[in-house]
Amino acid sequence: MVQCTSIKVSEGWQQTEVLLVRLGQCIIGLAVLLTIAGCGAQKAEFNNREDINVLIPEAQDHVREVLATHFGQPTRMVLWERMPVHYHGASGVFAENAATAGKTLSKLNVTLTEENLPIEEGQELAWISGKYLGQPNPHVVSFDATASQVGIEPGLAEPPGAGDRFAIAPGEVLIHGRILYAEHCQHCHGVSGDGNGPTAKYLNPRPRDYRLGKFKFKSTSSSAKATRDDLSRIIEEGIPGTYMPSFKLLKEEENRAIVEYVRWLAMRGEVEFKLIQALKNDYSNEAVASQVASARESDSTLSASAAREKVVADLNEYLTGDWQEEFNDDTKFQAEQWVQAEEPSALVIPKLARVPDTPESRAHGRELYLSAKAKCATCHGDSGLGDGSQTLSVQKNPATNADYDTPGLFDDWGNPVKPRNLTRGIYRGGRRPLDLYRRIHAGISGTPMPAFGTVLKDEEIWDIVNYVMNIPFEARDRQPGSGAGTSGAGAPEVATTR
Amino acid sequence: MVWPIAAVVLCWLAPGWNWWFPAGPSGTGAAMSPLGERIDDLFYMILIITTVTFVGTQIGLGYVLFTGARRSDQPEDAEGEKAWFSHGSHNLEVVWSIVPAAVLLFIALYQMEVWAEYRVQDAFPKQVIRTGPLAEVTARQFEWRIRYPGVDAEGNPLELKPDPQPTDLYTVNDLRLPSSQPVMIWLRSEDVQHSFFLPELRVKQDAVPGLVIPVWFEAIKSTEYSMLCAELCGWGHYKMKSRLVATPEDEWRVWLQELQVEQNYDGVSDESNDE
Ligand code: HEC
Ligand code: HEC
Ligand SMILES: [Cu+2]
Repeated sequence: MVQCTSIKVSEGWQQTEVLLVRLGQCIIGLAVLLTIAGCGAQKAEFNNREDINVLIPEAQDHVREVLATHFGQPTRMVLWERMPVHYHGASGVFAENAATAGKTLSKLNVTLTEENLPIEEGQELAWISGKYLGQPNPHVVSFDATASQVGIEPGLAEPPGAGDRFAIAPGEVLIHGRILYAEHCQHCHGVSGDGNGPTAKYLNPRPRDYRLGKFKFKSTSSSAKATRDDLSRIIEEGIPGTYMPSFKLLKEEENRAIVEYVRWLAMRGEVEFKLIQALKNDYSNEAVASQVASARESDSTLSASAAREKVVADLNEYLTGDWQEEFNDDTKFQAEQWVQAEEPSALVIPKLARVPDTPESRAHGRELYLSAKAKCATCHGDSGLGDGSQTLSVQKNPATNADYDTPGLFDDWGNPVKPRNLTRGIYRGGRRPLDLYRRIHAGISGTPMPAFGTVLKDEEIWDIVNYVMNIPFEARDRQPGSGAGTSGAGAPEVATTR
Repeated sequence: MVWPIAAVVLCWLAPGWNWWFPAGPSGTGAAMSPLGERIDDLFYMILIITTVTFVGTQIGLGYVLFTGARRSDQPEDAEGEKAWFSHGSHNLEVVWSIVPAAVLLFIALYQMEVWAEYRVQDAFPKQVIRTGPLAEVTARQFEWRIRYPGVDAEGNPLELKPDPQPTDLYTVNDLRLPSSQPVMIWLRSEDVQHSFFLPELRVKQDAVPGLVIPVWFEAIKSTEYSMLCAELCGWGHYKMKSRLVATPEDEWRVWLQELQVEQNYDGVSDESNDE
């Protein structure tokens, strides 16, 4: 297998980029893609958000360039270290290594900071910083976990500096994730994670578009990101009641690799989204046209192209000036959010155990369900059918503050959503009491379903959970013959074959 | 002559190259259930009958061609070596009607017991009639959703009801049942027609919308088997690959109890739920 790995440090942006071009992997990826290409031409290339087209071409180029330098393409990935993704098999820093006069040094003391794959013989060791950066990468020949010592071949004449960084099996987790994603997910979720693969148009609800960095069914508080465990669970269990399948037969290592790839796509999408948002105000086609018009109004000798050139010059000045720092801050903040989601404090954990599921508790839950405080019924309907009054009225888009064209509820992706029909007993985010508690406490992010954690006390949430979990059975008792639970239709008689 | 020899050699070698039943947990492709073994016996019996018939007729055909080719085409030699004109021979017609009919009748009668045990409820093993179904498997585009009865306070599985109950437990693409005993499931479909296929156990049964079909089987070994959909049910048909995990009954009960604890988890009362 031909491999060429080049590592690049770009000083100006204070970040290290590991640029990986793996020919062998490309070929595998291409083969996978070619197979898929049968159903609608899918190129192994990221596409841009549609709304990039509102920008003037110069601004569009900038967005493309930023994405290319920080994320690359599926088959030529750039591993931007700022983003908290487990890219490598393992990574760490060198500890003190004594110089061995005259002899080559082949066993290095290291401190591992991240271990995502078992360290094995034959893996590449890539220099990420220090004096060996840019030199050919050695291969691992041994690893002693207790002594935290890596054996490499060829050995070194001089020890690497203590604190210099390295990666073992560089990029391998993400590459593995990409190959699996192309095989299992891409035809629905799309190459760029835009939820618009070739099969997506046949599905309702639509596959998730990761590019807002938002996920609906997660264990964290309402504004927090989803955790790795949340994504891993979605992949393993699927989303009941939707076309998102369960991938239970994937090995744990494969599941984790896909999770990293999905997170990486989400981060890329978020960077793109925010970049376009930031440039949209001043450098959309519309804004530039009006700037040109007003400049020509105040100075009638100015030609249209000269006025436009001035605006483009402003853009370039901004991009080489203030923008650099803004971008740095924004992306650092974004990365920080993903890191924070992994901290235990981000999890929504009830302070109180579930209150016993008694008729009194359910009755109280029902009262709250109908009350003005929780207002569940305004969306989910009095009997839980998902037909509350809000589904009939025209809502405001929280992002633009404008009315939607059609009545009903919409999610942040602009897709219509119905409040869940609670009589069917199908819960997309899981059916444990804890899952329902979290849905109510933190809301469902990206959807109109609000967070009730501050409005309702723990006991009240549990009462509602007890009530909601009983709705399918209550509904069935009321209308004999109508089924509930996994079965969509009523349970028919057991067939007897003679 | 090359082709028949190549065919025989290939047939001989094929199982060694795994060109046979999927090796499965037995490693040899042998059925992993008692009924499956009997189904295999039927299969081999039919294979032998058809092989003998096929090889026999080919030899007969070869003989006729061979002897025909040896005859001289000189008209003067033809005398006394005229072809035997058999068309319309009553005796021959009777023979080759009755012999295959007898063979088919034999097969039809011989397999009846196995078929009855596999499909006819009255002939199901007494045990599965007594214990009833242990799980309901619902096929859905494109996965298997499985419903188990909950467990009571002593940790014994409850009875599975046709309608979902608050105590029911659920998994996806992960059917777990006791091994070394006949077990029954209910099979349903939520949308289109699917087919429940356990290749190593030789079980294949269509899942038909609107019907609840009882299916029984017995896994002789505690291990993981493949569970597939064998009816092209849509573009995601291939995604319905899942697993059957057969474990000794006590382990299965423990697993069900753990599933119960897991499914009632409220994030707090970790210990209070444990048995
Ligand atoms: C058959 C199409 C399909 C395939 C294949 C598919 N998904 Fe999905 N996925 C969906 C749909 C539809 C949804 C949205 C469900 C909803 O909105 O409730 C979804 C949602 C998701 C979500 C969002 C969950 C959340 O909490 O918001 C994630 C993450 C996800 N899929 C990951 C994957 C991964 C990873 C794979 C491949 C291993 C995959 N999907 C394969 C259709 C698919
Ligand atoms: C503003 C409307 C609105 C209100 C108010 C609201 N919901 Fe929802 N709810 C939704 C929508 C929309 C969804 C579906 C989200 C999706 O999957 O995209 C939903 C989904 C759910 C779900 C399904 C979760 C799952 O895992 O599938 C439950 C349970 C639920 N809501 C309970 C409640 C309860 C209880 C209340 C009151 C405390 C409530 N909702 C208030 C709109 C609302
Ligand atoms: Cu199917």
